[in-house]
Amino acid sequence: MKRRELLAASTALALVMAAGGEASAWSLEEAAAPYKGTTIKALFLDRPGYRAAIEILPEFEEKTGIDVTWEILPYENSRERQVLDFTGGTQEFDVILIDVVWIGEFADSGWVVPMEEFYNDPKLADPDLNLEGFFPILLESFGTWDGKVYGLPFDNYSGLLFYNKCQLEEAGFDGPPETWQQLLEEYGPELTKPEENRYAFALQSRRGETQSADSFMRMLWPFGGSLLDENFRSNLLSPESQAGLEFRQELMKYMPPGIVDYDHSEAVNALAQGRVAMITEWSAFYGTLTDPAQSKIVDCLAVAPEPKGPAGLKPALGGFSLGVSAFSDPEKQAAAWLFIQWVTSEAKARDYILAGGVSGRMKPYEDPEIKSKYLYVEPMVLSWQGGVPDFRPRFPEWPAISEIIAEWGTKMMLGEVTTEEGAKEIGTRMEAILEQAGYYSGQKKLLK
Amino acid sequence: MARGRRERWAPLAFIAPAVITLLAVGLYPLILAVITSFRQYLVTKPRAPRDFVGFDNYATVLTDPTFWESLGRTFEFLLLVLPIELALGLGIALLLHKPGLGLLRTLTRVSLVIPLATTFAVVGLVGRLIFNREFGVINWFLSLLGLPPVEWLGQPATAFAAVAIMDIWQWTPFVALVLLAGLTMVPPEIEEAARLETKSPWKILRHIQLPYLLPGITAVLILRTADILKLFDLVFVMTRGGPGSATELISVYIQRIGFRVFDQGIASAQAILLLILTIILSRLYIRLVYREVEA
Repeated sequence: MKRRELLAASTALALVMAAGGEASAWSLEEAAAPYKGTTIKALFLDRPGYRAAIEILPEFEEKTGIDVTWEILPYENSRERQVLDFTGGTQEFDVILIDVVWIGEFADSGWVVPMEEFYNDPKLADPDLNLEGFFPILLESFGTWDGKVYGLPFDNYSGLLFYNKCQLEEAGFDGPPETWQQLLEEYGPELTKPEENRYAFALQSRRGETQSADSFMRMLWPFGGSLLDENFRSNLLSPESQAGLEFRQELMKYMPPGIVDYDHSEAVNALAQGRVAMITEWSAFYGTLTDPAQSKIVDCLAVAPEPKGPAGLKPALGGFSLGVSAFSDPEKQAAAWLFIQWVTSEAKARDYILAGGVSGRMKPYEDPEIKSKYLYVEPMVLSWQGGVPDFRPRFPEWPAISEIIAEWGTKMMLGEVTTEEGAKEIGTRMEAILEQAGYYSGQKKLLK
Repeated sequence: MARGRRERWAPLAFIAPAVITLLAVGLYPLILAVITSFRQYLVTKPRAPRDFVGFDNYATVLTDPTFWESLGRTFEFLLLVLPIELALGLGIALLLHKPGLGLLRTLTRVSLVIPLATTFAVVGLVGRLIFNREFGVINWFLSLLGLPPVEWLGQPATAFAAVAIMDIWQWTPFVALVLLAGLTMVPPEIEEAARLETKSPWKILRHIQLPYLLPGITAVLILRTADILKLFDLVFVMTRGGPGSATELISVYIQRIGFRVFDQGIASAQAILLLILTIILSRLYIRLVYREVEA
């Protein structure tokens, strides 16, 4: 959504509220009264943001009488379960988890309800909803599709550079690398000591979304590359994209062996155990790295924005919004909306952060206490000022393309194919998918 | 008359529940899969037409190099694990068949069931731990021998071997139990007579025991082949088909098409082709290996 449209939407909302004349009288308890006793079900992941929500949601249940249940699934199965729920007519989930790369598919297929149905309803809309209070990049990238809001940012990630400042100091660096080039040329050789089983950097690259999003795409943008050009043709053979992919190959000599089997947990663990000095990981792992039970480097941990490339700061962007299932009964939909509105609200943002979540609201991060308590806040807010909303294309075809990238991206890293050969393979296969989807014949808008 | 009719219907009534259940859980999905395999069927595009496209899906599958690669990889896997499982299983069965060591033998037999009772996904998780580079028990053993740690799951060849080892660990006991059952079928008087004739265990195995083992071996071949062709959970948990596509066996690939890309038409065609292949192999095994023991 363009910022202007967003402004228009929220102005309209304000007018509706004012016209209703009940704005001041709105309360969650009253709004929820007709739905007392309703049970709604959400799909959650086993990550800090969800544990935070689970911790704070009894308050919502108490206030509303709405019973919130959830099922925790591994990320790799969560889309499958929801898609089968939508297409199989099982009506299992009411609160839908929308990854940034699923929004196009879910919205396009009509599986989630446009939020305007709720925020234009004065009975359901909290006058303090304030859509503009979300970081615009978050609301746009995982809340909005084709100008309409479908989800409110809930579990929000920016790629950050987590590093072990003690190790860096020992090696004679008084700060983290500012650019990828520095990381490769200066930090890499100094911090890599294979005989001591220590490495400068780990880039989680396991086959799956981890390879395609966290490893492959992360190296394209900072070097000025991208997956697609403006006509949706592959841009992977462009000199910039190739430079990024070549860079990744070069950087591998400073990564632990077997990096292609590293998922998030392995990368985070490698830093937490002092085996690697730096990782670029999602902000959400801050909690793990500062937990003394899981991390040996609590006192040495420092956080910075991801290194810049020739194209500037283009950190990984990811996250999940919560939406309402189009297949649920109307009262469950309303109850689900009330829950989503509450859990992502400005009023609850502080509690959510203190419970370990990362809120998508701007306001709580102005709080000096929050700023000083959580080292990730400043670099993250900085990263969200810029960044690329379509860091990964958000159209429905992404999951299929992601599979192709995951396969050929790991083959590249293993040296089974060159970056050029791999890029060609991905390009051909990806264009076949986009062709079939109707992007080249003009049947489908070029939205990503 | 009435009694005769009842007697005629009685057997049918007895097998009816089983037949109906089989039809519901076996035949119905199969027919549905066959029908789907002739359609364009994208789950994620509910509004797209689901037309019949003839043999298009089959043509796509048969000309897809990735399909052939993963099928080839599956057969490599089969040819690697099956002989080892048979050899180890036979060895264990022969040891357990020896008289003596009563309690120990019973305990061993019971413990053989444990791997079989373990879910594939759990075996996969255990595999990830055993082959972990830092904390894995395998690398610990290597370090005792003064060998450097191996990045088991991060390199194509070793990842393939690691998955194979977990499969062998899980399924050798099954082979052992089936073959042990075969060995107990050998009439003791014949075995005793043979032992008086020769001291060579090999001759006894070849001429006395093997004929009784053949039906079991055939069953093992059929079941293990079908199992490996549909082996998914273990691989998915251990390596997700990676690194690269080193462990992408055919069913991991089918799952990818069916539940990530959600192209049910293509995935059904792949599954039907796999079923045909399984049936052909089973017939082959029965023809080549299976022999009735002539009493």
